[in-house]
Amino acid sequence: MDILVIILLAFGFLFFLGGAVGIIRMPDFYSRLHPAGKLDTLGIMAMVGGLALYNLHHFSLGTVLLSIKMMLIVFFVFMSSPTATHSIVDAGMRAGLRPWTRKPKNNTIQPRETGKE
Amino acid sequence: MKLFGFIIVCLTGGLLLYGTGELPDWGDPHSPASIHLSNDYIEHAMEQTEVPNLVTAVLADYRGYDTMFETAVVFCAGLACFLLLRDFRPKKEYYYRHVPTGVVLHVKNNERQIAPGKEFEDVDKDWVPSDTIIKTVCRILIPFIQIYALYVVAHGDFSPGGGFQGGVIFGSSFILLAISYNLKTLMKRVSEKFLGIFSAAGVLVYVGIGAFSMVLGGHFLDYSQYIPFFGEHHIRALGMLGVEIGVGMAVTAVMAIIYINIVSEGRHDEGL
Repeated sequence: MDILVIILLAFGFLFFLGGAVGIIRMPDFYSRLHPAGKLDTLGIMAMVGGLALYNLHHFSLGTVLLSIKMMLIVFFVFMSSPTATHSIVDAGMRAGLRPWTRKPKNNTIQPRETGKE
Repeated sequence: MKLFGFIIVCLTGGLLLYGTGELPDWGDPHSPASIHLSNDYIEHAMEQTEVPNLVTAVLADYRGYDTMFETAVVFCAGLACFLLLRDFRPKKEYYYRHVPTGVVLHVKNNERQIAPGKEFEDVDKDWVPSDTIIKTVCRILIPFIQIYALYVVAHGDFSPGGGFQGGVIFGSSFILLAISYNLKTLMKRVSEKFLGIFSAAGVLVYVGIGAFSMVLGGHFLDYSQYIPFFGEHHIRALGMLGVEIGVGMAVTAVMAIIYINIVSEGRHDEGL
């Protein structure tokens, strides 16, 4: 079981690291939100899952309840984090922020006039 | 005028900074607070109140007046928002969305010519098409948020939590509903009258618990007067729970009142 916990923690660490690097290295708003929304969700799933498993070393009602509570946190993050990212992207599109493209002439970000939808 | 304000701000700030010179140092073990007060609370709170969470014991028992007037201040904030922002004038412009096609009509008239129903939908000026993902997730999350808020209120005397925090969480679930759907959906569920009465009732619960102990022959907010009703076991914790429920009610309603009045500029019909 220890091996499984270590694998899960390392997996989560790898994803968190990827997410952090992605947030810093990605070129614009939308592509930065992509690692923020996706990798944090999977990272927290793996990490808290591993910790919840580790918590079950002393198997009793208390530790089982605690593990269930930890998995509940994972569940709520799993639901709300991608939704929050989605709504932020939606607001960005509505406010007129153009996505980044490779061509240099479109690279400058200029707000479009906000018309009525 | 700007210069005048700047001078006043500088004077007040300087006075405050001057005043801090008299205060004891940060973490000074010989300051009055560390010599008598904190030690007394830490040593005697458990045997005097039977409440495991010392912070709640200090807030709701030793300093019950303080917390009561904090609740009154929260209530006054809601009242001020209502009095300053509420706008009862009828609206001049209406926007309707044709449900099958999604076309938005702008009606500039005082009289409503289109009845909102199955065909036409009443929408806001800055109308944003409702998003199915956000709606669905909020629909799932809001009940959990509300249960969690009640849990925080109920566990105020045993673990971190209490009326203010629980009330804020409960109020935020209302705000989430208004954001994910629209303000009208929220106003259909909790009316303005209900919110006003609920916030006042929260303060009344707090003051009432305090005043009723006077009726029973004790001091104001003396929970031990309730022993004939609830027994001696954890009576102070029970009293604090009642008080925290009052605080939670007031904070919940005031959160919603402030949000509703600010986003719709007091019209309660549109906004965000």
